[in-house]
Amino acid sequence: MRARAGNLGPMAVVAAAAVLLYLPLVVIANYPLAQRALERGAVMDCEGPLACAFSLRNPVIPAPGQLFTGIYNLLLPLDSPSAIPINAFWTGAETLVGLALAALVGFLFAVGLVLSRAFELSVLPWIVASQTVPIIALAPMLVVLLGQYGVQGWLPKAIIAAYIAFFPVTIGLAKGLRSPDSLTLDLMKTYRATTFQTFLKVRLPASLPYLFTAFRISTAAALIGAIIAEMSTISFYGLGKMLSENARASDVVGTWVLMIASAALGILLVACVGWVERLVTPWRR
Amino acid sequence: MATLGSSLAGTTRAEGGGPPLSAVLALAAGQAFLLLFVLLWWERTDIAAPAWQLGLYLATLVAAFGLSRLAGWIAEHPAGPVVRFLPAAFTMILTLLAAEALLRAYQVPAGLIPTPTEVLTVLWQARDVLLQDTFQTFVMEAVIGFLIGVGVALPVSLLIARSGFLQRGMMPYAAAFSSIPIPALAPVFVHMFGLDWQSKAAVVAVTVFFPVVVNVVRGLLEIDPRLLDLMRSYAASDRQIFAKARVPNALPFFFNALKLGTTLAMIGAIVGEFFGATGKGLGFRIQIEAGRFGFDIVWAAIIVASTLGIAWFGLVAWLERRFTAWHVSLRE
Repeated sequence: MRARAGNLGPMAVVAAAAVLLYLPLVVIANYPLAQRALERGAVMDCEGPLACAFSLRNPVIPAPGQLFTGIYNLLLPLDSPSAIPINAFWTGAETLVGLALAALVGFLFAVGLVLSRAFELSVLPWIVASQTVPIIALAPMLVVLLGQYGVQGWLPKAIIAAYIAFFPVTIGLAKGLRSPDSLTLDLMKTYRATTFQTFLKVRLPASLPYLFTAFRISTAAALIGAIIAEMSTISFYGLGKMLSENARASDVVGTWVLMIASAALGILLVACVGWVERLVTPWRR
Repeated sequence: MATLGSSLAGTTRAEGGGPPLSAVLALAAGQAFLLLFVLLWWERTDIAAPAWQLGLYLATLVAAFGLSRLAGWIAEHPAGPVVRFLPAAFTMILTLLAAEALLRAYQVPAGLIPTPTEVLTVLWQARDVLLQDTFQTFVMEAVIGFLIGVGVALPVSLLIARSGFLQRGMMPYAAAFSSIPIPALAPVFVHMFGLDWQSKAAVVAVTVFFPVVVNVVRGLLEIDPRLLDLMRSYAASDRQIFAKARVPNALPFFFNALKLGTTLAMIGAIVGEFFGATGKGLGFRIQIEAGRFGFDIVWAAIIVASTLGIAWFGLVAWLERRFTAWHVSLRE
């Protein structure tokens, strides 16, 4: 169910309904706060708690106008180190490098799993179990640890993104390398293809769709990893740095804008992965 | 001939009832050496001599070699689930033993990488604090948020599945919303619902909500048209079609979302606590202790969170087997 032309009408109606529901929500959430502020005699250039609910400095839910101003303030100038674009770029780059790293290491593991039953018996249960574990909890420690060994800058963030993406990628690749049916493999045998040739010409291409399915699942997770890694150390850029700064300064509008920006980055990254997939596997679709 | 010979030899050994003796011996000897070193160095605080270090690497290699031979033998012979799990169990034991021995041999400070036994000791010593953290994170945040998220998602997905307009209008948004990274969601909710468990439960509920909606709607709609035709030929009413065809069809999708949801719920609760908590919770503990190099507590908290995560996942998987035993993927 993607954004197709036929969906645009209903999507617009739903969006309009959401906006209409949002306004009363702003009033309900902010009204008591505005009332209290007025009772305390705060100086605000608005009349009555209803109007002030839309211009609180620290609203529970920011009003649409505040959100737009916030987006405008944080989006521009494009190359400012305290604006979103350059920070989102770094976080996105870390995530993508992490995914590439995960593909590399995951590939080695997947080959091991496919070639050796002994390796599979010894390691696979732990890889599967690790999928149900909140491995993100390791991120704060890993960043500090990597920092101790001199790994700093964007690299530790990419490593943690890779670490989180690694497990789904490994399992997806192993599944993909096993996916060619016995008919195809028999055909390769009649061609007198070597194991390596079969691997290169049959198993590897067959595993690509599985790899990209795994990527699409793990992109969101890798992005979480990169953001948490940025938060956990002294960082000079990245959405994670902006998030922790904003949360500490409790700039409510800022956290909302960052939420929207991170969501946009997540969607963009998944789209990027899809784009690479179409590039690498042109025979599908 | 060679393969025939080895396979014959394999069968005779299997009839003899045991795995290759050399493999078992290598595994046992390697692990015994590692264990011996750990016991020798239990109280010592000096860095082991290079000969010892070399011995440890060799012992690890020998044990790993024995393990791989043993695993290869088990893989080729029929064995019960317990025996088939043995290689994995030994992998874990060997990894922990080697880590313990090497960390002690190089005297890596506990503030950097604690040894497994140090972690277990702290796990026991700090059990009161960790129990309190676990209650906050698991029961109050993850489980309550999970139940709220699933509870709201089910009626919403029924509604969406009934209306073509809502499908076209809402499902693209659901996909977009599920790609919001949790750490970006957390600060907003922490401000809205306060520092206590409510904000984290809200984060968990939202992260669990979208996968459940997406999957259940798919499950209700992606149904074999022949099945619907069959139901119609039985003159089944809409209600009957829904209860007897669509709901069973959606169950495997639903359980998949639930399994995904257990992991997301643990992540949501832990990550949510990174952005503000009331001084308890596993995520809070991890963040605070990682900042001041208390990695033994961090590891202990991770062990607790992982165990709970696996147990919860196992519970949902068990429910899945119980309720969808008829499904292709679970049939023998």
